[in-house]
Amino acid sequence: MSIITMHERDIQKTSLRQKVVFATVQVLLYAFLLTMALIVLFPFYWMVISSLKTLDEYRESVPTFFPRRIMFSNYREAFTSASLGRLFLNTLYVGVVSTLLSLVITILSAFAFARLEFKGKNILFAGLLATMMIPGELFTITNYSTVTRLGWMNTYTVLIVPFLVSVFYIYLLRQNFMQIPDELYLAAKVDGTGDLKYLLKVMIPLSLPTLISITILKMMGAWNSYIWPRLVANDQAHRLITNGLRNAFTETTGDVNYPVQMAAVALVSLPLFLVFVFLRKYIMKGVSRSGIKG
Amino acid sequence: MKKTIVVLALVLALVMSVFAGGGKEKSGASSTFQVPEGGYDGSAVTITFYHTMGSNLAEVLAQYIEEFNALYPNITVNATQVGSYDDVRDQISTEITVGNQPNIAYCYPDHVALYNMAGVVATLDDLIESSEVVTRADGSTETLGLTEAQKADFIEGYWNEGKQFGDGLMYTLPWSKSTEVLYYNKTFFDNNGIKVPTTWDEMEEVCAAIKAIDPASIPLGYDSEGNWFITMTEQLESPYTSALEPHYLFDNETNREFVKRFRSWYQKGYLTTQTLYGAYTSGLFVAENGTRSYMSIGSSAGATHQRPTKGADGNYPFEVGIATIPQVNPDRPKVISQGPSVCIFNKSNPQEVIASWLFVKYMTTSTDFQAEFSMTSGYVPVLKSVADHPVYKEFVSKANGGDYISALSASVCLSQQEAYYTSPAFNGSSTARSQVQNLLARSLSAQGNDDEVIDKAFKEAITECEYQN
Amino acid sequence: MEMVENRHKWKAWLYLSPAILLLLVFTVWPIINTVRMAFLENYSGLSAVRGATFSLGIGNFRSVIQYPKFLQCMKNTVLLCILTVPISTFLALLIAVCLNSIKFLQKPLQTIFFLPYVTNSIAIGMVFAAMFNIVGSFYGTENEIVVTAGIINNIIEFFGGRRVNWINAGSSYLANITVMTVYIVWNALPFKILVLLGGLQSINRQYYDAAKVDGTPRRRIFLRITVPLLSPMIAYVVITGFIGGFKEYTSIVGIFGEKMGPADDGGRLNTMVGFIYDALSTNKQGRASAAALILFLIILVVTLINMQVSKKRVHY
Repeated sequence: MSIITMHERDIQKTSLRQKVVFATVQVLLYAFLLTMALIVLFPFYWMVISSLKTLDEYRESVPTFFPRRIMFSNYREAFTSASLGRLFLNTLYVGVVSTLLSLVITILSAFAFARLEFKGKNILFAGLLATMMIPGELFTITNYSTVTRLGWMNTYTVLIVPFLVSVFYIYLLRQNFMQIPDELYLAAKVDGTGDLKYLLKVMIPLSLPTLISITILKMMGAWNSYIWPRLVANDQAHRLITNGLRNAFTETTGDVNYPVQMAAVALVSLPLFLVFVFLRKYIMKGVSRSGIKG
Repeated sequence: MKKTIVVLALVLALVMSVFAGGGKEKSGASSTFQVPEGGYDGSAVTITFYHTMGSNLAEVLAQYIEEFNALYPNITVNATQVGSYDDVRDQISTEITVGNQPNIAYCYPDHVALYNMAGVVATLDDLIESSEVVTRADGSTETLGLTEAQKADFIEGYWNEGKQFGDGLMYTLPWSKSTEVLYYNKTFFDNNGIKVPTTWDEMEEVCAAIKAIDPASIPLGYDSEGNWFITMTEQLESPYTSALEPHYLFDNETNREFVKRFRSWYQKGYLTTQTLYGAYTSGLFVAENGTRSYMSIGSSAGATHQRPTKGADGNYPFEVGIATIPQVNPDRPKVISQGPSVCIFNKSNPQEVIASWLFVKYMTTSTDFQAEFSMTSGYVPVLKSVADHPVYKEFVSKANGGDYISALSASVCLSQQEAYYTSPAFNGSSTARSQVQNLLARSLSAQGNDDEVIDKAFKEAITECEYQN
Repeated sequence: MEMVENRHKWKAWLYLSPAILLLLVFTVWPIINTVRMAFLENYSGLSAVRGATFSLGIGNFRSVIQYPKFLQCMKNTVLLCILTVPISTFLALLIAVCLNSIKFLQKPLQTIFFLPYVTNSIAIGMVFAAMFNIVGSFYGTENEIVVTAGIINNIIEFFGGRRVNWINAGSSYLANITVMTVYIVWNALPFKILVLLGGLQSINRQYYDAAKVDGTPRRRIFLRITVPLLSPMIAYVVITGFIGGFKEYTSIVGIFGEKMGPADDGGRLNTMVGFIYDALSTNKQGRASAAALILFLIILVVTLINMQVSKKRVHY
């Protein structure tokens, strides 16, 4: 009897200790995460309050933590000084078309690298990965002269075609495809199912999360691209959003009106932020399924 | 992986062999632009104009393009805002490589020197001197070139900026200009009986006097070390750079001496600069308590930033005065000339060049445009006669240190028309500028023995300049 | 069987053809052109327009290596890489593991940690610069004046520390590098957290349940189960981190501006890509290309070493 009670008391004790340990760990966890979250958030807070200041207040030696006069008009200025509607439509069009085409190309290439055997496959793949290591700025000059010779200046083509192939996406999707058991493919071949049918019926549904992440990343790319569009399609009809917004805030002295620019950056970031909030699940899944297996 | 390396080596060898036979390209020098017989033939051309104007200025421009089009309906002008000055430079130098450059561009002298490596900037001499007659849509006529009166109307210092490229040829016309002026706290100066300094010697005395009254202050804030260094070499008539080799002449005794003098001022707490202060020096100048400055040297176009915020009673806490910057020799004043000029690019169709010229000529010689553009931008007009333009005259007459501070700044600029200088332009002149800026900032603030610090700063600046060339 | 194989080869190339065609035009050709420009002495695109001729040689490589500050650029690039990649990977791992073991607030926190991914690095750089900035003058002299010491210094002083001159004139190299490390780590965190958290969530719960039954302590679980199962992801973020780290440039412009250093020592923090930009802005594409090829070789070697190491350490 007494032995049993002692045992029970022991269990109670350990469970109490466990509870204390558990609670402490939880408190520490949250303290750490919340501190890090604050550190991550602070620059955003700063961006938002800066975007609400007058230029004179922004230029003061001692920065203020909260604007004395809240200038919502900075947002209006950022919004109206560029014809936002057109910019938005252009960006959306370029984003959607290039994403669709890019998906097709990426799927076909990733399939070839993941499932098909051919001579030079590994060397070709290593070569592709190596191209990621060259600073992209150098490509600009040559690509510029190429698209000019092709007569693509100031068209949607020039905004879409040169960046359709992303080695990074091919790499992501290949990793994903390689996780799908070989047996499925062999079985399909025995059944006489064609490659394309197999791709459509098996591989694409199984790697949907990765494809969705690629879609989102590609759309983000279209939303954020700046240097290339400015160079090759800077006319009113084809201008993209970042380009249009960033150009508009030069002061007469050549200085940049930073509060308005901050407002523009906030405006441009907002849709991306919303995309992440609503599609977080897919982005997380997509990333988690790739990257395994070297 | 060995395989990959072998393949890479093979590719490299292949590429090398392809280009071993290459490198034989035709050589030819650029030629000056010649106006074809008959001048403008009235044909329809589209010209593009790259600038950096914000939306308020672009509106003024659009309005005058419309007026220009009433005279020349066949010339379509596409004006595009291309980010900052550096963006314009980078974009055009990429476009030149495929012959895709615009017709007209906002430029700084070093940009033109860069474009000229390709020999694509049209020389303006033949256009300026041309006596061809052009008929406009309203039936009136104009001479293609500039009349003597028109030439003489340009402020000399601005005009000369167009031919500082070492070959005596004219490459640019001034569009709109600014300079540096001395802003001072007039209320403080009046209350304490301090006289506005006109020379650097007086400046030293004034700084000492202010420091005695308000020991916590930094009496003088200077916006740009680069401008300061170059202006000092100009005022002292000491070499800075040359458009011809050898380019970099700024390492000499005179320059080292003035740098040493300012270093001692800095060490005494007399002055600071924007980069050393870590914030806009205008912020220091408009401060009403704590550490503040009583003088600020900065762009004449930024006058509104040098004005304190209105108090609750609707009055400015102090009045701002504006004066010419201090000189070495007040009888031979020198102040920097900044702000955009425009250049015209060569094109296979000479009519495009002529049309571009007609547009540039219209804008730079129109007193209406120059007056309106100046009032909107805070820049100063490039024509002397704008001072007599009724609207501009009225604007300047309102000049005061409060609500009409831009007008005050403009009136100071108008009064020092003889003083503008520009420094030589060549590919690498912007490197020289950023290096002397670095040099001065460093010499003012670095710790250690004065001469050693200065010696090191000069030597490194020269090394860097020569490498970049 | 032989025939099937052949058909496959043909098919593989067919599937790859759009990608290969585009890569040939927009990636391979620019690379070849880069190599060409690198081996043409003093090549400049603008001079070429005028008809200048360039002889073949290795002058561009020589001029890159002879640059007095070349070693400084290399040192900055390498130092920032070896500091930021391990720190950001470790921090990201820690945050991901913590995030994975909580329930309450998990989703909002995930969103917050992802935020830096959607913003412009130059704009955020300006914010960081303001946080570390000291506004004032004459540091280290008897006339020292400090108008405001910046938020970071305010915090340090609040805890009784001495303020540090982080990025202004007279600041030390150590302080500069510290600021850059903080900023780059901040910037690199979201992607790494995303990848690592994704990996953690896909680890089969059975492993943990088994460990729990055995009564294995937490630390042991972490080292023996979590890290090995996560190793492919860790290898992935480390390799991409190094590739990105060697191309560091915009983050330095964000903090120090185009001057690439504190006011009294411009260029002190210049990197390899910064050097390439400088050469491009004076239209020296030959020199820029040579520098890019040198940088490429370095990245290639580092990546090969990384892959070699991960081959031994990574569990698939």
